[in-house]
Parts: sequence; C-alpha cells; structure tokens
Amino acid sequence: MTRKQKRLGVIAGGLAFLGLAMGLTFYALGQRTSYFYMPTDLATQAVPPGQRIRLGGLVEKGTVVRGQGTEVSFAVTDETRSVPVVFAGILPDLFREEQGVVTEGSFRSDGIFMADSVLAKHDETYMPKEVADGLKAQGLWQEN
Amino acid sequence: MIEAGHFALVLALALALVQSTVPIVGSRINDARMMAVAAPVALVSFALIALAFLALTWAYVTSDFSVVNVWENSHSQKPMLFKITGTWGNHEGSMLLWVLILALFSALVAVFGRNLPDQLKATVLAVQGWIAAAFLLFILVTSNPFARLVPAPFEGQDLNPILQDVGLAVHPPLLYLGYVGFSVSFSFAVAALIEKRIDAAWARWVRPWTLAAWIFLTGGIAMGSYWAYYELGWGGFWFWDPVENASFMPWLSGTALLHSALVMEKRSALKIWTVLLAILTFSLSLLGTFLVRSGVLTSVHAFATDPTRGVFILGILTLLVGGALALFAWRAHALTAGGIFQPISREGSLVLNNLFLTTATATVLIGTLYPLLMEALTGDKISVGAPFFNLTFGSLMVPLLIAVPFGPLLAWKRGDLYAAAQRLAWALGGAILVALLIMLFVDRTMLFAALSIGLAAWLMLGAATDLVLRSGVGSQPWSVVRRRLWGLPRSAKGTALAHFGLGVTVVGIVATVAFQTERIVIMKPGDTIDFAGRQLRFERVEPFAGPNYTEDQARFTLISGNRDVGTLVAAKRLYTARQMPTTEAGILTRGFSQAYVALGDPSGDGSWVVRAWWKPMVTLIWLGPCLMMAGGLLSISDRRLRVGAPARRRSQPVPAAAE
Amino acid sequence: MLFWIVATLLTLMACLSVLVPFLRRPAAVGVMTSPDLAIYKDQLAEVERDLSRGLIGRGEAEQARSEIGRRILRASERAGGATVQRPLWGRAVTAAAVLSIPLVSWSVYAATGSPGEPAQPLQARLQESPGNLPVEDLIARAEAHLRTDPSDSRGWEVLAPIYLRVGRTDDAVRAYREAIDRLGSSGIRQSGLGEALIAQAGGTVTAEAREAFEQGLQAAPGDGKALFFLALAAAQEGDVAGAQAQWQALKADQPAGSPWSEAANQALARIAQPGRGPGAQDVQDAAALSSAERSTMIEGMVATLDAKLRDNPRDPEGWQKLVRSYAVLGRQDEAREALRRGMSALGETTRDAAALQDFARSINVLASVQP
Repeated sequence: MTRKQKRLGVIAGGLAFLGLAMGLTFYALGQRTSYFYMPTDLATQAVPPGQRIRLGGLVEKGTVVRGQGTEVSFAVTDETRSVPVVFAGILPDLFREEQGVVTEGSFRSDGIFMADSVLAKHDETYMPKEVADGLKAQGLWQEN
Repeated sequence: MIEAGHFALVLALALALVQSTVPIVGSRINDARMMAVAAPVALVSFALIALAFLALTWAYVTSDFSVVNVWENSHSQKPMLFKITGTWGNHEGSMLLWVLILALFSALVAVFGRNLPDQLKATVLAVQGWIAAAFLLFILVTSNPFARLVPAPFEGQDLNPILQDVGLAVHPPLLYLGYVGFSVSFSFAVAALIEKRIDAAWARWVRPWTLAAWIFLTGGIAMGSYWAYYELGWGGFWFWDPVENASFMPWLSGTALLHSALVMEKRSALKIWTVLLAILTFSLSLLGTFLVRSGVLTSVHAFATDPTRGVFILGILTLLVGGALALFAWRAHALTAGGIFQPISREGSLVLNNLFLTTATATVLIGTLYPLLMEALTGDKISVGAPFFNLTFGSLMVPLLIAVPFGPLLAWKRGDLYAAAQRLAWALGGAILVALLIMLFVDRTMLFAALSIGLAAWLMLGAATDLVLRSGVGSQPWSVVRRRLWGLPRSAKGTALAHFGLGVTVVGIVATVAFQTERIVIMKPGDTIDFAGRQLRFERVEPFAGPNYTEDQARFTLISGNRDVGTLVAAKRLYTARQMPTTEAGILTRGFSQAYVALGDPSGDGSWVVRAWWKPMVTLIWLGPCLMMAGGLLSISDRRLRVGAPARRRSQPVPAAAE
Repeated sequence: MLFWIVATLLTLMACLSVLVPFLRRPAAVGVMTSPDLAIYKDQLAEVERDLSRGLIGRGEAEQARSEIGRRILRASERAGGATVQRPLWGRAVTAAAVLSIPLVSWSVYAATGSPGEPAQPLQARLQESPGNLPVEDLIARAEAHLRTDPSDSRGWEVLAPIYLRVGRTDDAVRAYREAIDRLGSSGIRQSGLGEALIAQAGGTVTAEAREAFEQGLQAAPGDGKALFFLALAAAQEGDVAGAQAQWQALKADQPAGSPWSEAANQALARIAQPGRGPGAQDVQDAAALSSAERSTMIEGMVATLDAKLRDNPRDPEGWQKLVRSYAVLGRQDEAREALRRGMSALGETTRDAAALQDFARSINVLASVQP
C-alpha cells in the first residue's frame, strides 16, 4: 500500500465510524425521547397506552390521596382538564396542591397515568419551565 | 470596603482592555517593552479582582444587606460557612468567581511563563485579556454583584437551602478551576494561530495546563455528583441533566485534548488537531456557562434567569468561539504538520482515543441541545434523558474502554499490536475470571453486568500491566523491582493510576446500577425490614433545631448478622426563612458500599414512608475520579522533557527492562 | 473620603503596572535565539541522565538523540534573523492605554457605583443609635434582637403597640400574646391584645377580644380602653341602650378631658344622631351604626397611614393608598396635598413618583402643584 492509500483508508475508516455513531445517535433520539404534554393537549392528541410521555400541570386541589401502601394518587390539571395519576414512591419535598409538577411515565389501558418519576419545583420561586409555558399559553399564569 | 471592591472590579476591566491590546500590538511590531506590559498587568488585574471578591465575601460575612446580592441570598442567622460559600451560591457571585479564576490563571501564566518566548507569552496573555474583558463587562453591565440597596433591610432572603451544604464550598470552585483552566489551552491555541507557528515551548506548555484544568474538572464533576447523591435524597449519582452534561462535555473533550497534547509534546505530531481541540474544549466550557447562566435551562443551577444575560453571554460565545474557529480556518494550513507515524502505534492509539472521545462529546452535545432546538423549531417539548445517553454514550464507551490498556503498551511511531496483546493476556484472563465469579457467586441472571465488571477488571489489570512489566515483577528480585518501580517516569505511573481509576469508577457504576436493592415501605418506629441480606430497624423520630432550620430526625439501625453495625439519621428539614422543606438522607458506609435511607411523608398515625437502598460498591464511583486526579497530579509533577523515541521494530518484548 | 483615597491609590497602581516595563532600560531586544533550542538541549541532557541511571536502553537513547537532533536542525533552519523595527505609533498606543485606565474606570464607576454608600455590617447597624431611623427599620432591629434573644420578654411588650400602629395586626396580636405568656396578664397587655384583635378583625369586637378586655379589667378595674371597647361590643351586638349606659358610666368615671372620656363622648354623639344613629332598634339601624363606625374606622386608618408615611416616606404603595383614601372620603384638597407630599418624598423624577402621579390621574386627583 502506498502512503496515500493508507491515508485514504484511515479517513474512510474514520468517516464510517462517524456515520455509525451519528446513525446510532439519531436512532436513539427517535426511540428514547419523551414528549411533554399538558392535560388539554391529551384531549386533541391521543397517546397510546404504554408510550412514555411527560405530563405536566398543577396538582389539583383536594385530589391527593395517600394510603394504599406507598402509593399516592392525585390529579394533574391545567384548569381545563385533569388527568388522574398514580405514583409509588416518595414525593419530592415541594410537592403541594396547586403547585406545578412534571410527571413521567405512561398511561394504563384504563386511562390512569402511571408515573415513575415526579418532579416538583426546586424552590419556592421555580415553576417547571414546561408547565409555566403551558399555563402561560392558556393565559392562566402571569409572570410577576 | 464594598465600594472599593466595586471600584477594583471596574479598574480590572480597564486593565483587561489594556492587557488585550498593548501586548499583542507589541508582539506584532516586535516591541519588547510593550510585550512586557502583559505580565505585570495580569498580576495587578488578579490582585484587583481578588480584592473585589474579598469585598463581596466580606459583605456576606458581615451580613451587609445594603448590597442587593447579599440581601437576596443571605440571612443573618445562616452559619458562617454558608455565609462565605453563599458568596458564589448565586449568579452574580459565581460569575465573579469565574473571572477571579480566569485572572488567577493569567497571573500564573505571567509568573511561570518566564521561559516562554516573549511573543508567545504576550499573545497568550492578550487572548486571556479578551476573555477577561468580555466577562468583566458582562458582570458590570448585567449582573453587578455590588449593586446597593438603600435603605438597607435588616434581614436577607436566605440562600436556597439545597445550596446550604459543604458541597457548595468545594464543587463550584473546583468546577470553575477546571472550566476556566481550559482557557489557557485556548489562549495558547489562538496565539499559535496568530503567530502562525507552534514551537517546542508551545507543546511543552499546553499539556501541563490542560492536565491541571482536567484534574480540577474531574474533581469538580465527581464532587458535584456526590453532592447530588446525598443532598437530593433520590439516591442517584448522575442524572444526565443538561447542566451536568454542560460540565461533562468539556471533560470529555478535555480528556481527548490531554491525550493529543501528549502526542504533540513527545512527537510533535497532531499539531493542528490539538489546536482545534483546545479551541473546542474551552468553547464547550463557554457553552456550559451560557447554558447554565442564560436560563435557557431550568435546573438547580439556574439561580435566576434573565434574557439580557443570555443574549450577552451568547454574544461573548459567538465572538470568542466564532472568532477562534474562523482564525483556525484561515490560519490552520500555515501550521506545519509534525512527525509521521504508523496506524498501529502509541500515536495511533491516541488518535483512536480522540476519535471516540470527541464522538462521545458530540452525542452528549446533540442530546443536550436537541430539545432546545426542537422547541425552537417545532414548539414540541421533548426530554432527552438517561435512556438516550445510556444507549449512545454507553455504546461508544465500551470499545474505548476495551482499547485503553493497549495504548501505553504500544511503542511510539511504530507499534506491535500482537506483542501488546501477548503482554495483556494475563489481564484478559483475570477479567474473564472476575466476570465468571460474578456470574457464579453474585447473580446468575445478569450476564451484562458481569461482563461490564469484567471489562472494569480488564481496565484495572491492564493499567497495572505496564508498571508490572516495566519493573520486572516476577522475573527480578524484589529489591530490583522496587528500585525500578521508583525510577519509572512519574508520567507512566500517573497514566497507570488514572486508567486504574477509570476501571474503579466503572466497577462502582455497574455494581450500583445492577446490584443495588431498593425498598419503599411504610414503617413505624420499632419496625424492622429485611433488605439486601441485612435488617434495618426504625428506632425513633425526634425533633431537632438547627441554626436556621428545624427538622424531624429519624434514627435507623442497620443490623447485619444479628449485630448492630451502625446508625443512620435521615431527616425532613424545614428551612424557616424560606419555609422550604428538604430531605436529608441517612447514609452509612460499610466498606465500599453504602446503606442509604430517605424519609418520605409521615402518614398521621406515626408511620412514615421510608425509601431504603443498599448500594454495593457505590463509593468507588467517586473513589475512581480521586485516583484519576492523583494520576494526573503524578503526571503533572513529572517535569521530564524526554521525547518519545520509536522502538526498533519487533526487537525487545520488554523495552524498559534493558540493563 | 477613605474611599476616594483607596480608589486613587488603586488607579495609580493599575497605571504603574502598565508603565513598569517602560521605566526599565530596554533589554537586549532583537534577534531572539530560538527558545526551542534551549528546550532541545534540556531534552538531550535528560536523555543522558536517564541513560546513566539505567532507565532507558542504549538503543533507545541513541534513537532519542537522533530524533532531537532532527528537531534541532529543523528549528535552526527556521530561526532567521528577524529585523527589529519599532514604529512610533506603538508609543501612542501605550500612552493611550495608560490614559484609558483612569478614564474607563472612573467613568464606568460613575455610572454603576454608589461612592457615598458606606458598608453597613448588620452588627454595627444593630448597635447604632436609633436617631432618625424610619419606623420599619426600628421594628426590624427589634425583631432581629428578639430573634437572637427570644427570652427578652420586655421586647415583645415594646414591640406590640408599634406593630399595631403601623398596621401589622397579626404581628401585634402575636407580640401581645408573647408578652402575656412571658410576663403574665396585666390590664395594659390584655386591653392591648383586645385592641389588636379588633384591628385584626377589621373593627369588629370579637368574642376573643371581649374576653381579653374582661381579663384586663380583672387585673386593672376601671381601665378606660377596656371599658370603651366593651361598650362598643354591646353597640355592635345591637344593645344600644346598654352601650349608651356603659359609655355614660365611662365618662363619669374618667376625669374630664382624658382620651377615653373624649372617645366616649364622640361615640355617644354618633349613636344619638337621628336617622343614622343607633337610637332606632331595628336591624337596619344597627347596620347603619356599623357603617358609621366603619367610616370612623376609615378616618382612623387614614390618619394612621398618614402618620406612618410621615415616619417612613419611602413607600410608594402607601402613598397611593393615602391618595385614594382621601379621594374616597371626598377630601379632594387633602388628596392633592398627599399627592404632592408623596411625589416629593419619592423624588420628583423617580419612576415611583411617576407611577403615583399616573395613579392619581386615574382616580381624578389632579396634581396642579409645581414643586
């Protein structure tokens, strides 16, 4: 092999590698990302049971029920529609009624959202960004 | 005092402007005195910014609420340590720390750069001056920490309780030392492009500075990970959170830079690539600063969000990164290419390392920016989380980790893969044995985990191979081995230690992810649960009042083999000033493993939701980076300048064992 | 003054740092020997050292030497004699740079700094003489003191009426309760608590308040405040005759001209007003009474607000409230006067003052006054 052929070989190998890596990346982007929904969005776009999504909104007042073992159920609302959520585990410190929350999980076939993670705000001034945007879009949230 | 600090900061801006013009003009017209301006100006700038920083710290220590920044982020009842660390626990203060560290690095270049060629030193310091001027302007225009509040209130609004932790004392300064440390490599790269030449001094300088920055960044990231682990109460050590990624990307490309700078130093090859990598690494640091500071991302780290700040930093980012890359495109061809080498050689293996690391950086970058891009383009809000990164990043890391032990065993210029493989045979055997043992004695169902731990063993044994062979373990009497081991270059020992540390981290991650036991139960005081072959007894709950919080402390006893082995104290804490609750995890370390208990909500009848984990080998996750840092330190302390000479083809199976 | 000295010294230091290299004699500048050569020589020496210590083999050393030799050759080819030429404008750039230091720093600082503001460490502020501090700050100081030493019972007693005066009724109730808990019940404390409770309830004498007054009377029989409000309680419950009788008794009991006999007089006058007065027995009249009561309450609140703003004029919201209150009460002149005072207190050109003026215009209070 001449030096030129060798160099070409190396470059071709590098490009093939990069192509492989990019292919993997975009495959993963297609498969492993979850979309964010507000309860009202779910009225217009059907999400099949089992598909992972993130659901955000406010914790509806008076819907938080603890008890059945370590399970907690509550409803996430955007003041227009609300979605029942069941979560097993420890709720974050700042999980409160009428506060913003983002849950991640999927719907059961009976329409109940099984969350495997619940994120509340980090401190008293922070509203999860997606939730704030969603509420703003519906005119329910004003920045002060 | 406050105003003196404020004035010092403004003065530092004026000096930064001088530093960014006079020396570089001097270097263009070859005026030694103009070039010599750079060093004293860099030193005085550092002194001025340090004065400003001290003034702000003083304001925090004395609870001077006439400073808006102090009022917003402090409280008179806060413990002294958190008053001090609170200085950088907010946007303005942390930016001030950022420029302080930048000025520190410029000052270090000025002090240690006496033997640098005048022109190179002047240009490097001028480039540092551009960065400093841009960020000082940013601070003074959009985030002035010295804004005053008159009349001053008598009480502040307190610091976010999550930040009231020793972690804040260590994590940001280390991280910034890393981030900003890469500015030196960046400035050297830009200087090389301006001067159109890369000389031996350049190569000799870039590697230790990159290494120093890399050591700090490693420490900063590991510390941040441990902090999140014990403070957030979720038991996780890495979340692929965009802000974590922002610090991880410079680390990845910095690691690549470290390795390519090695090739440059020893073999004067890969010059152009190293210059590009130096520019990219600091650009990623700046991108990280932009992502965190602009409020594009919401996270614990986004102290406050303000669009003008985002636009300003984006401007700096575009100017510095765009300018540097344009300069690169324009001038790169003027740099002479260096030594040539065969694909199978030490250089070749380092190129492979660079290929993998930069690709990994690119996937993390895509995963981090993709949601922002999607939202901007289509309005869809998506989240790219752990599943994406585990798949892409993980699949890139496996082949890289397999290749790591080969690198140090290959000779420069022209290596012998077969001989290296022969020498690594025992490491491979060891790794397979470890994987089998895990399969047989720990868990038969987890093939993948066993293989991963085998991979980690391969890394650790492979790292040891180089030292073992070079010191003649097994073939020489112990006294000779010891003498040889002592005489080995520190950089070789450093490499081995750092690669060993990488293996240690992999063990920790795999063991924790694959073999941890988690239980969520409702417990009353007096209850005992079984988990991971041990018992956990809930003793009692008692109230406790700290300086600025109150909490319910729950005491647990861990029982192993009918013996009490220790106490865990988990708590639900309420910070009174902000009325903000936090969860304090109870952690008990046994060997390298930990028991981790987080307290949930009380359910009224005296019982609590309790989440308990047994995390085997979890401390190795952070012990590994400590070893990597130690390896880096060993390597940096090696001031030898030896060139990498090629080995004769196929001649000596054990090159270093010559008499 | 100290600040100006420090600032001048710092500026001088900064300028000197630029000038230092120019004060030195010009070093031998010119054709630089390539610094690379020095490094390569170091490397050669290093190879020799390693060889003599047996760290590298002879063959390796030979190869390293030849590698370095090649680099030295390359380096010496490059190192041509660079001619030195220093144009004059280099000097101009330097001079401009030195001048720019004071110019940039002093002008930027002028825009962003507050040179007149001294540092205000909390500890020192807590110790300084109360002098002419605004009420809010005095309260904050007392609060800070009580937080560090909550057992200082007298502190609560002093603070309670001040809270009441500035309208922080919840805090006033809490402070009175603390004082009663720590120091025991007394006439003054109980009737103070009662008054605070009434203010908290927006003017209604609640059962809780009544209990406080009754306990106060046990400790200090004949306490004017307690007797007055108990009579008011009777009036609010519709027992006008009882209220009148109690107020009459209070008047007789207290020396003429004392504040509470004065208050009783006014209450009796209001209650006796035909049509609006509570002389009538039906519910409507009772409602009218409370509306009359309410308007006195408003008058009282306005007066309190006015007094508070005199003490602590930097309160844009307070000024808006005051202007509106006078306007609602139909006292246009006073509304205008409040607007003028508010604007001068807030500073004519400030955004707060402009907001106040806009607000006043929106409720038809026109500022015809020029400063």
